[in-house]
Amino acid sequence: MNVIYPLAVPKGRRLCCEVCEAPAERVCGACTVTYYCGVVHQRADWGSIHEKICQLLIPLRTSMPFYNSEEERQHGLQQLQQRQKHLIEFCYTVAQKYIFEGKHEDAVPAALHSLRFRMSVHGLSSVELVPAYLLLAEASLGLGRIVQAEEYLSQAQWTVLKSAECCHATHSLLHRNLGLLYMAKENYEEARYHLANDIYFASCAFGTEHIRTSGGYFYLANIFYGLKNLDLADTLYTKVSEIWNKYLNNHYQVLSQARTQQVDLLGKQFETDTGLDEAQEAEAIQILTSILKIRESTSDKAPQKTIFVLKILFMLYYLMVNSSKAKEYAMRALDLAKEQQLSVHEQNTIQDLLNLTSAEEAHPITW
Amino acid sequence: MTTLPPLCMTRPKLTALARQKLPCSPRTIPRSQLIKEKDDIDHYLEVNFKGLSKEEVAAYRNSYKKNICVDMLRDGYHKSFTELFALMEKWDALREAAKVRSLFWLQRPLEEQPDKLDHFYYYLTRAEAAERKEYFEEVYNNLYALACYFNNSEDKWVRNHFYERCFEIAQLIKIDGGKKEAEAHAHMGLLFEEDGQLLEAAEHYEAFHQLTQGRIWKDETGRVLNLLACESLLRTYRLLSDKMLENKEYKQAIRILIKASEIAKEGNDKKMEEEASYYLGLAHLAAGEYETALAVLNTYANISADLDDDLSLGRAYEATAKVLQSQGQMAEAVKYLKKMVKIARKKFQSLDFVRASTMLGDIYNEKGYYNKASEYFQQAFDTTAELTNIPLMDETKVHYGIAKAHQMMLTINSYIESADLTSLDCLLSWKENRSDIAPDPTIGGSRRSTMESLYQTSEFSEEPRGFPDNQKKKT
Repeated sequence: MNVIYPLAVPKGRRLCCEVCEAPAERVCGACTVTYYCGVVHQRADWGSIHEKICQLLIPLRTSMPFYNSEEERQHGLQQLQQRQKHLIEFCYTVAQKYIFEGKHEDAVPAALHSLRFRMSVHGLSSVELVPAYLLLAEASLGLGRIVQAEEYLSQAQWTVLKSAECCHATHSLLHRNLGLLYMAKENYEEARYHLANDIYFASCAFGTEHIRTSGGYFYLANIFYGLKNLDLADTLYTKVSEIWNKYLNNHYQVLSQARTQQVDLLGKQFETDTGLDEAQEAEAIQILTSILKIRESTSDKAPQKTIFVLKILFMLYYLMVNSSKAKEYAMRALDLAKEQQLSVHEQNTIQDLLNLTSAEEAHPITW
Repeated sequence: MTTLPPLCMTRPKLTALARQKLPCSPRTIPRSQLIKEKDDIDHYLEVNFKGLSKEEVAAYRNSYKKNICVDMLRDGYHKSFTELFALMEKWDALREAAKVRSLFWLQRPLEEQPDKLDHFYYYLTRAEAAERKEYFEEVYNNLYALACYFNNSEDKWVRNHFYERCFEIAQLIKIDGGKKEAEAHAHMGLLFEEDGQLLEAAEHYEAFHQLTQGRIWKDETGRVLNLLACESLLRTYRLLSDKMLENKEYKQAIRILIKASEIAKEGNDKKMEEEASYYLGLAHLAAGEYETALAVLNTYANISADLDDDLSLGRAYEATAKVLQSQGQMAEAVKYLKKMVKIARKKFQSLDFVRASTMLGDIYNEKGYYNKASEYFQQAFDTTAELTNIPLMDETKVHYGIAKAHQMMLTINSYIESADLTSLDCLLSWKENRSDIAPDPTIGGSRRSTMESLYQTSEFSEEPRGFPDNQKKKT
């Protein structure tokens, strides 16, 4: 049975819900180490992250098995640490992906998991906790709970201030979320200040033309677009698209070079990939799709820009081995090119891209 | 450092606050403000006790460089930011490269020079705003202003970077008929010339020349651009040809110099023309083409005579004399050298005079007219003594000594060979006071006296230096 009675639990042991920390009434049947206060929360958690990490939680929440020697104990401890670290990263990535896909509700339990594990591994006031706080803040912003977001953000800011060595990437992330907060509060001055800081730190950490910096540019562009400063927004959007274009093209070149150089013994083709993890892919999709929407609204004056974005999206989906979506974007690009009667050269390049997908389909990857 | 007026720009709030914090800004408050009357509001407290706003905190806590960058980005000038960031990274890279070579790097980092950062902010943001509106002239002007500002010895690389940017932008400016493009070519040429890459410099200067042909544009100091182009082009060609002559590529050098003289002719500037022909003549001499050299040098002499330019006339005569000497026509050479000596004396050009006299003496020496030779060498030696130019003095001393030796050679030979009482007396007296010996027609005979006399005269020429006497080896 999945129901437990709080009173029947041994004295001093309080079982709390995963999601809300209320006294627990239910337990997950699959792993028996996770507790919930009600069915609603259990369903939410299962849909969000518990399905993926159910079995992984068992070794972390039960007592350690008996080891015969000191070495084995050490080994066991290390393994535990490894598992916790892996879980931290995994939950973080999953939560990020949800946020970029817009599913803020689902992101919250995953982010909470990440936070709790970070606390247990690194301690309560470590810099490592900051990304988790920021994620929670972003999720709350997405759900419209601005006060809660502010709380999380001030916690994050305080931790950053107190810690001596905080890397530029964390600063950048903090300022990005602060920028988003102020955007939600419609305080555009502050938002611009924070996003400027974000871009500066990201440039220090990664360089001015890196995909991690592109997020900052994108949000800044959004602000200007909201303030009706259209040409400024336009230049920033162009910059973002160019950054992504360069990255994806480079990646594609590297891959195709590798492909031509080393054909497998059985002549199999190598799998394509984007070199990004799932969250970054989701981020890329979100950014590029919103840029596309904005471009399409002004498509008559500058069709090249729309086609540019469509081509980038095509490349992204192609590298993600999602050929149906890739084809769709390529077709849209081709139609737009024909409609606007762009140069033959342009149409030919798009046609080449289409052929690429069909070539892939002709030789499917066989395992 | 060019003296541009200090920037009167309205700084954004952050940098204004940060400026106050900088060590170079005035810190002390005049004491009169600190004195408080009875029941008066304490202004000092009122002003300074408000506490700090977040912006003030940020301004104090962060470096000035960060404040500038954040200000740039806030207003959306992301291209300026990218450029500034790239320049700072380049500085870092240069410093790394320099660290390998030297222990301490004297140049201060860009971050710590607030004036330069201010200039960057001001001009780069204006350039970007102009670029958005596609006013390329504005962009060019702003970038050029930045290049001028950095035109000092330690920031050459920044200036070169902006020259390149100006060049790219200038390609896009079509409305002014290519004037900006021409100027940009000139700058790029200067860049390459300083760097030593003469071929590229020549290319750019050629483009500059072509664009300014037939136009009467003037640059900011009022000089006509076309003349500037000709000058720079000639200069580059000369440098190139020098290098080629060193590598013994005579044909190429001559070809380039011919091009140079053509350009000079087009430029309608006599001075440039004569310079070009002079160098062409020298190149022909080096290549061994004596006839052409003579012809060219003749034109040079004519032009100099037209211009009443005696110095260049002197040079022309010298060069012609050299050619004639190599050809073996000594009499002609002597004529020219005499003319040159006259001019040099008139114009008090001591070095030229020395050179000319030495050359004359050389020729006479070879031909056997030792008297004249030593006369000219004496003139040269006296002039160098006036100039107190030690290396030249030594050189002329040696020449003079050799000529004197030759002069006295026959006489001493005859004395020694005759070996009778009067000649020995003469010889001894000569040895005592080392003055000129009177030529005596008695002829004697021993062979080794030639070597001896030469030895003695070399001793004579070394005497003023104070070397120990080698008397022992004498008879």
